[in-house]
Amino acid sequence: MNNQKFDGINLSILWSRLLAIVDEAGTALQRTSFSTVTRESNDFAVVLMDTQGRSIAQSTISVPSFLGVIPMMTKYLLNGNFPLNSWKTGDVVTTNDPQLCAGHKPDVGVVSPIFHQDKLIGFIGTISHVPDIGGVLWGAGARDAYEEGLLIPPTKLYAEGIQNETLISLIENNVRAPMQTIGDIRAQVAANDQGRKGLISLMNEVGLNNIETLAEQIIGVSEKAMRDAISDAPDGTYKYTYGADGDGINEPVTIECAITIVGDEIAVDYEGTSDAHTLGINAVLNYTYAYTAYPIKCTFSPDVPNNDGAFIPITVTAPRGSLLNATGYVPVGARNMTGNMLHAPVFGALVQAVPEQVQADCGAPCWCVVLNGRHPEKDNMEFVEYFFLNGGYGARPNRDGEGILSFPTNVSNVPIEVLESSTPIRYHEKSLIPNSAGMGKFRGGLGQKIIFEVLNESGLNMSVLTEKLITVSKGLNGGKDSIHGKISISPERFIPPKGIIRLKKGDIVTMEMPGGGGYGNENDRDPELIKYDQDLGYIHS
Amino acid sequence: MSFQLGIDIGGTFTDVVLLDEKNEKLTFGKTLTTYGDPTDGIVNGIQQVLRDNHVSGKDIRRVLHGTTLVTNAIIERKGAKTGLITTKGFEDVLEIGRELRYDIYDLNITMPKPLVPRNLRVGVSERMDKHGNIIHSLNQSDLAESVQKLVDQGVEAVAICYMFGFMNPTHEQETAQYIQSHFPDIYVSVSSEIMPEIREYERTSATAMNAFVQPLTHTYLSRLETRLYEMDIAGVINIMLSSGRLTTLEGAKHSPIHLLESGPAGGTMAGVFVGKQTHRKDLFAFDMGGTTAKASLIHNHEPDITNQFEAGRVKRFRKGSGLPVRIPVIDMIEIGAGGGSIAKVNQLGLLTVGPESAGSEPGPACYDRGGKFPTVTDADLVLGYLNEDFFLGGTMKLNRQKAEDAIRIHLAESLGLSVEDAALGVHRVVNENMANAARVHILEKGQDPRHYTMMAFGGAGPVHAFHVAQRLNLKQLMAPVGAGVASAIGFLVSAVAVESVRSHVNKLATMDWEQVNLFLDELEKSGRIFLANSGITDADVTVTRQSDMRYFGQGFEIKVSVPNGILSEDKIVKIEKNFSKVYKTLYSRTIDDVPIESVTWRVLTKGPSPEIRLQQVFDDNSHITLKGHRKVRFPEMESPLECPVYSRYGLTVGDEINGPAIIEEKESTFVIGPNSRFSVDNQMNIVVDMEAS
Repeated sequence: MNNQKFDGINLSILWSRLLAIVDEAGTALQRTSFSTVTRESNDFAVVLMDTQGRSIAQSTISVPSFLGVIPMMTKYLLNGNFPLNSWKTGDVVTTNDPQLCAGHKPDVGVVSPIFHQDKLIGFIGTISHVPDIGGVLWGAGARDAYEEGLLIPPTKLYAEGIQNETLISLIENNVRAPMQTIGDIRAQVAANDQGRKGLISLMNEVGLNNIETLAEQIIGVSEKAMRDAISDAPDGTYKYTYGADGDGINEPVTIECAITIVGDEIAVDYEGTSDAHTLGINAVLNYTYAYTAYPIKCTFSPDVPNNDGAFIPITVTAPRGSLLNATGYVPVGARNMTGNMLHAPVFGALVQAVPEQVQADCGAPCWCVVLNGRHPEKDNMEFVEYFFLNGGYGARPNRDGEGILSFPTNVSNVPIEVLESSTPIRYHEKSLIPNSAGMGKFRGGLGQKIIFEVLNESGLNMSVLTEKLITVSKGLNGGKDSIHGKISISPERFIPPKGIIRLKKGDIVTMEMPGGGGYGNENDRDPELIKYDQDLGYIHS
Repeated sequence: MSFQLGIDIGGTFTDVVLLDEKNEKLTFGKTLTTYGDPTDGIVNGIQQVLRDNHVSGKDIRRVLHGTTLVTNAIIERKGAKTGLITTKGFEDVLEIGRELRYDIYDLNITMPKPLVPRNLRVGVSERMDKHGNIIHSLNQSDLAESVQKLVDQGVEAVAICYMFGFMNPTHEQETAQYIQSHFPDIYVSVSSEIMPEIREYERTSATAMNAFVQPLTHTYLSRLETRLYEMDIAGVINIMLSSGRLTTLEGAKHSPIHLLESGPAGGTMAGVFVGKQTHRKDLFAFDMGGTTAKASLIHNHEPDITNQFEAGRVKRFRKGSGLPVRIPVIDMIEIGAGGGSIAKVNQLGLLTVGPESAGSEPGPACYDRGGKFPTVTDADLVLGYLNEDFFLGGTMKLNRQKAEDAIRIHLAESLGLSVEDAALGVHRVVNENMANAARVHILEKGQDPRHYTMMAFGGAGPVHAFHVAQRLNLKQLMAPVGAGVASAIGFLVSAVAVESVRSHVNKLATMDWEQVNLFLDELEKSGRIFLANSGITDADVTVTRQSDMRYFGQGFEIKVSVPNGILSEDKIVKIEKNFSKVYKTLYSRTIDDVPIESVTWRVLTKGPSPEIRLQQVFDDNSHITLKGHRKVRFPEMESPLECPVYSRYGLTVGDEINGPAIIEEKESTFVIGPNSRFSVDNQMNIVVDMEAS
């Protein structure tokens, strides 16, 4: 079973085994993780690669942030200081360099080689969002990359099984939660090891001594599926301009997206997009690629498991130094606020080519709230608590958007009772906002409102990342836009849309997330849907 | 009064088992399920088995019953018109849910609609803080107005769920009392009784679901009681819960959501039953039917329990696409792989099987009822595993030509393979799917698959068990007699029990032990009262405690056993040790220096586990063992071989035979591959030694 092609049965069996192997490793990583976002938001990925660093299988529940990122990182290592012939059994290399890895420092990449019968046959890599990486409190507030914490250039964490004590000590001395952060990195090493063992056991079972043919075939059929789907779309260049809040005060941003379909390939170019922003909302090209490729994959080949094949026909370019190709030392900590809206310009351009395969803009990106203070009941212990708010889902060509649903990332809310148990705040409300979505033949999902009160005498620091306070979720194909989002505080004063504010006891904070955009002309809406919306109080006339 | 009855209502058949405790003998009965009024089928089945054994209704000491009534009501959305009362401002929590997508790439994703629509959800001004202190008292005029609004819209049931109601139930109780005194016909479900646990969405969801199914469960169980009484059966009636434990009629009427997995739980408990009879403490129960395969672990004669469960999934088998219910339920994997699962060649040229199923109508192509697509059963027929003239004991003739045609047209031609090779592919792919799911499940439990004996149940279970066990490197495989009535047997070994829970989030180091002792005591007392009302004497009651714990800062809890008696700081070391042991089993490491936090406390109050002794289960020694040979294709072989075919009813205790072999019985066919050896134990179970394979 080595260098001959696998038939449709053996390929099916081996491929599902590879996916099971990365999913098992992913489950182990997620369940032992301290990091809230890794755990609750699937903010991690495990990828099995061949000796060229090409992805063969990626954990299925991972968020889109990491599409193609681990292979890009591994290829970089192989072309840089870690060429193929330098790897030894028991080596593990790590880095969190935003340019090489996933675009901000809390995402740490860990790559391990896989040896079988003393030969290097592939790699396994994980990325996970660690609890802390030093620097200022997470948000968009850092002035440059240095304020965003510790940078680990590609370094051996283990050399032939021996731990790099210098690196461990360096990390321990530069992050706020050293036990948890080191614990999470070790969990990644363990997950890699589990995946490696799973692959070796599979290879022994079926008598494989390398995975080249298998990789070739998996990547080949996935690439063909993507190319076939793209070639069904009409050739042409489709453009869309998308405006976003930027800092929400006086430095907005514009994303210019031009998608060119020629035959079975897609090229996305962001020429004309705003320059890098003062705030840390800048995306490196790896990250821009991931969130551009994601809506394209949803549109053309949603059912094929992720591997290099699906991405070969997709190229993404953005001007160097722009918001979408951050270089040098510009801050990138809150790059999710930019990456998580790229689906909107991509769908906005693609609707001109394949109107039945896209969706309208969502009430995205999700808003991020970090609360930091001292706990009155727990010996004044310092706490840092994260939570996220999602908006309404965009309308589809054949149905309304769902209510509150996370997109394009996949972050759950923290239950109110859990949040109130760990943080001195009390919710007054969490509800759907009627009329908050864009209408259309199909309307967007409604947005949501939360209201909470600060309870402790010493008050809190709140870091917020909001979006669509001055812009909206755009409708498509004649569908209407959503309402604006809102954030306010009582007693009334200014809250920076992306920044930090000091909250006092008794302050009441209100946040309103917009719904999704509509799709198609409102006049074509089914009267039964109109009546249903009114009966249930989703829409008031 | 030395007889017990087990009754299980399934999709097609209602199964009845009669246990003769004096003579240590089991008798099986089977009758068609009656959809209009399921108690008709029960009465038919009972009358038949009583008549055959010359037993009168008066002799029945106990009736044990499992039903899919509740699950079906949720799936088909056929429950009561239900209203929901929440703390004002939180009426939409039930609809907003956890905001997560269950499928990352499907833009056309749909989420399950809430069981209570927005116009039937009302808020009342009231609020507790996290300790259960009253921040705002219950606003009486709000309450009256809200209830009236629901009544005006004609609700039959009302769910009540207030923020932190589990910490202080007084507002929920006041609300319930108000409804009961003003509108006594309305069924009321209260969150602090149904699921007194932290996390408002999950608790609201469970409470709403309970209200939704309460009226119909009530009606059904009352009717069952009457019909049994009409047959002079005045013994105790116990109902099977999702946890593999039993409850009383009153318990079932009060919390019907605990019945969600009643039937499947019986299947696992049948594994417990066979394990007890054959002295096997650790088993892997594998049940494969027409549309799904289910599997669960049994440890030390006890099923593995979780409290993560979802009902009414929008996308079947997809985690996250259903409505969450945190009730104790046997931890089971379920995948879309059954005899009716459809095989196809997908756009990538790969052979895939399921989860789409041809069901029983039109069914597999070989049923000859219009099914066009090739299924697992068609492949099994083509490979020679199934006997076209002895399917369901010969009551149904299979059409081999139709099976071959379906496989040729839809699979063999596009794969460029022979019909037989394509059929073998279907068999291998479906086995691989099941083995993959099982492997992940066992690994998540931190266990080693090789440690378990597989117990195969269900119509298709024994057909596929050998090769699934082989993929998992299991050492032993067995198929019990009477696999067709498996669930009903399981009811007989289940204990009456009640789990009482209380959420209380705190680190062990800073715990207020006085408060903990107080509520643990309350939970135990309420359990003991429940069991006393079920006729169980206090001396027979065992109490065990567990806590859901985690390292401070983590989001997943693990179940840790907690010592009985008064707790204090002195017990922390012991509890921490228990925590570390479980954590290490699951994740093969522990973490020093991070404090341990407890989230929810559980007290299980349990009656005695019935010990059933049986004489030889099966005594039909017709001794016509070998029926003949037929051509069978095994995955291990390049071409078919002449395989001996045995009748299950001809095998005798102590037989030892080498594989390969096909063993036919009415309800199923046991396929045993080459390079193995099987024997028949003194309970007539067939035990396959896999080591040789």
